Amino acid sequence: MNPSQPTGATDDELVPIDNELAPTGDVLVPIGEELARADEESVLADLTGMLATLLDEYGLDDVEVRMETTFNRDLELESIDLVTLAGLLEERYGDRVNFAEFLAGMEFDEIIELTVGRLVEHVVQSLKVAEAG
Amino acid sequence: MAMVDTGDVRLHVQRMTPKGGRPVTATAVLVHGLLTDSLASYYFTLAPVFAVSGIDVIMYDLRGHGRSERPESGYRLDDHLDDLEALLDRLEVTGPVQLVGNSFGGSVAFGYAARHPERAAGVSLIESEPATAGWAATMDGVLRQVLTELAHNEAAALAWITANRSQNTARLAKGAARLARETTLARDIPVSQVLTEDQIRSVRCPVLALYGGESALVERAPWLESLLPDCRTVVVPGHEHSVLVEAPGTVGDHILSMIGEGTGKQGVAERGSAERGVAGRGVAEFARVEGR
Repeated sequence: MNPSQPTGATDDELVPIDNELAPTGDVLVPIGEELARADEESVLADLTGMLATLLDEYGLDDVEVRMETTFNRDLELESIDLVTLAGLLEERYGDRVNFAEFLAGMEFDEIIELTVGRLVEHVVQSLKVAEAG
Repeated sequence: MAMVDTGDVRLHVQRMTPKGGRPVTATAVLVHGLLTDSLASYYFTLAPVFAVSGIDVIMYDLRGHGRSERPESGYRLDDHLDDLEALLDRLEVTGPVQLVGNSFGGSVAFGYAARHPERAAGVSLIESEPATAGWAATMDGVLRQVLTELAHNEAAALAWITANRSQNTARLAKGAARLARETTLARDIPVSQVLTEDQIRSVRCPVLALYGGESALVERAPWLESLLPDCRTVVVPGHEHSVLVEAPGTVGDHILSMIGEGTGKQGVAERGSAERGVAGRGVAEFARVEGR
């Protein structure tokens, strides 16, 4: 029955509510960055699922996929696997992401060095463009 | 991924169609080459450019290749023609189509036009020729080499390829060796039924034949031109057998022009390729075909 306890609890609740009601410019920037990070994380999660489907065909499960993972050297994907990946991307994102065009614009060395992270960035960017347009 | 069951074999098919309600001016069927090749050689190169130009593009993996089923036998040219015939029937593509083939795929494309002249609007051969007795002898030599060097001395051959080419090429070669070992392909193709000169002459649709200037096959150009009623040959200087993967922009432009002439839409073809420039060279090289 200490009166300070309910009072303190009330104060704690009020602080975040106040912040949400009156966001300042300073608060909005980190929220934007956080959203971008959340986008990348969810796209990476999508891609990890697609790659698991692909690699499963080779009897490989449990392959760790990170942003710096390369399609060629690390995952040993062949060009026909990239066709399958294009199909999986289309299933998930529709016309908003065009993987064939993304790759068609690249030189051989770029494809050999292509990382999961670069594709994640491309997908996030394509989704943003589609949303804006 | 679309799989089409022809009744005999399950084939992996990809289709790219013009987007945004753009009218379809032609249907093209793209046929890839042997062993290390798959529809991927087109998927990231000619296909997107063709689709932008108003062409309905159909690509498939030959039996045993890419994502298609790999039966143990049935790899003669006629088996591949039966597959293509059944595939187009299943897809309900009944009108005349533009046939495009790279290397062995060109022999399939031409064979299809000879078998069904009414279904061929045009044939584009990339580093290829109709299947003749001479062709069969050449294929026999090439495939014997694959069998002896890769299938029987695989470890040594792969070590050499890794050291002198790349790990990527070695991976493709390994896949090719597996295909040669697990199927009758290398024995079947050289004993295919081939075409007579009269049968070759009977293909009256426009034929475009593209060759790399440094390729041995370029010698076939005058012979083809003399035989076919409507044939144009193009030599791309500075390239060998892999001209499709080394210069997809040039190859695509020539084929689009020919298809455009057939449909009276030349301008469309030119605009389509100009939008893209030299498309897909990187991926094409990634899927690079070593040999034929």
